[in-house]
Amino acid sequence: MPEYEHNIEVHGLSTWFGKKHILKDITCYFRDNTVTAIMGPSGCGKSTLLRTLNRLNDLVPSFRRKGEVLFKGTDIYGVGTSVYDLRKHIGMVFQKPNPFPMSVFDNVTYGPKLHGVKDEDELNKIVETSLRKAALWDEVKDELQSPAPNLSGGQQQRLCIARALSVDPPVLLMDEPVSALDPISAAKIEELIIELKQDYTIILVTHNVQQAFRVSDQAAFLYLGELVEFDETKRILEAPADSRTEAFITGRIG
Amino acid sequence: MTMTEENETITMQEEEQIHSWHSQLLRNISKSLHDFRMADRPGKVDMLGKWGLFIPAVASTLIIVLILAFLWFESVPILVDPSGGPGIVVSPTWDPNRDLFGIAIFIVGSLLCAGIAIGLAVPLGIGGAIFLSEFCPMRLRQPIKMIIEMMAAIPSIVYGLWAYLVLVPIIKNNIAPITQSPTNGLSLLAGGLILAIMLLPTVVTISTDALQTVPLSLREASLALGATQSETSRKIVLSAALPGVGAAVVLSLGRAVGETMAVLMVTGNSLQIPYSLFDPTYVMTSIITNQLGYAFVFPLWRSALFAVGLVLLIMSICFTLTAKLFIRWGMKTRGYI
Repeated sequence: MPEYEHNIEVHGLSTWFGKKHILKDITCYFRDNTVTAIMGPSGCGKSTLLRTLNRLNDLVPSFRRKGEVLFKGTDIYGVGTSVYDLRKHIGMVFQKPNPFPMSVFDNVTYGPKLHGVKDEDELNKIVETSLRKAALWDEVKDELQSPAPNLSGGQQQRLCIARALSVDPPVLLMDEPVSALDPISAAKIEELIIELKQDYTIILVTHNVQQAFRVSDQAAFLYLGELVEFDETKRILEAPADSRTEAFITGRIG
Repeated sequence: MTMTEENETITMQEEEQIHSWHSQLLRNISKSLHDFRMADRPGKVDMLGKWGLFIPAVASTLIIVLILAFLWFESVPILVDPSGGPGIVVSPTWDPNRDLFGIAIFIVGSLLCAGIAIGLAVPLGIGGAIFLSEFCPMRLRQPIKMIIEMMAAIPSIVYGLWAYLVLVPIIKNNIAPITQSPTNGLSLLAGGLILAIMLLPTVVTISTDALQTVPLSLREASLALGATQSETSRKIVLSAALPGVGAAVVLSLGRAVGETMAVLMVTGNSLQIPYSLFDPTYVMTSIITNQLGYAFVFPLWRSALFAVGLVLLIMSICFTLTAKLFIRWGMKTRGYI
């Protein structure tokens, strides 16, 4: 095992979609058991950076990349890295709740079953712990067999978090997980994120400065594909070193 | 005296009922006419549209009822005749010269033929659809889909000709010798195969469309959990699109039992129940087409053929309803409705 300091480190990462240069020479790291917020105006490459971390961008045929992304010290784009294994270790929650059109139970067991868990008792246990961690167990424990799309929007998103947690990944990527939800559901999920950071490394994409302030420990500010600032969230928001960061925080760009 | 009085009261009551029924109808009509007169121009257009569209909507349901009624009246003679009766659906002997009109052979033949066709066309078609929608390079998808859609436009008689000249000899010379069954190639297998080929385009195109409507976000969620692309397409995309794929199966089921020409040309049309794939068989549509001309002047014979048509229609209605129920159940467990 190579030595490493953080679960995920990014070294000199540049990406392109076709001829379009999206990320420009990004170097940063994500500390364990913290929430790192990736902030920036729309179209600055936040989501691209996030989706590069679990290689979801590989689906786009015109995607190209230079630089390294290290997960536990090994390059995830390196030869011999299994993308399926990687994604098992790096979970993801999407912007819009996207539960599978099947029962709540099947939604949570989908991941573990893929990775070879067959034992009925173990699956039951995984469902309970994942749903408990996502603060959803009490609301759905009596209707585990009902179809997931019948849940409310906020419940669906928490189910998606439970689904991501079901394979027990050390890292959790979240792509604006509350932007499609009502304020009350959003607040619940923010609370949940703060709770989850005790056990997980969380990387949160957001364009909401207040949210970043509330939940994150460190923050990266991206602007037009460049990493403008990368530091403690408090420091960035209270005393931005760059005028572009200040403009974003005060709402002049975004 | 009392009798007439009673009669009179009854008639009066009846008249009153009729009268009230009439007046209600009149009131309804006059009310809608009044509404129509008082409405502004867009409102009038709306109302006209509503009434105008009501007619085709009712007509299409009426047609099915009328066809059922027509087939029923035409098959009554055989169903009430001592030599026929409802027992014909289980009696295996069809011999109009001796007034034996058992149609079980045709029912079995049709079911087997359609069964083989569906059994081949549905898995193959769904497989093709998954390839087209999930694995096929974008540039190839449209051309391939277009070619498959063209297959659906080939007249069934052309399929029949091709099967007669190509498929039947292949079965006779290449496939049957494997099991050493004696056959001239005109067989249940030929009918099932040609039907399967004819059903494929329907299954592929409708299933592809259904798979394509599954949101990309579901595929991403599955992949992000570490699923491979084939796991994702099987367990998530296909499952999410199952109601749509079910609709494709319903459509092809209807066509499978109802298809006539191609099957007529290659099944051998022999009055026996097939015991192997290489035995000739006789399907329901074929017996009607073949014998209606001779049978027209013999009421019982003719009526028996209409009874075959009636059974065919009832069968296809039953298939469709069962499939619809299944689709409904699928939609419910997926939270679509």
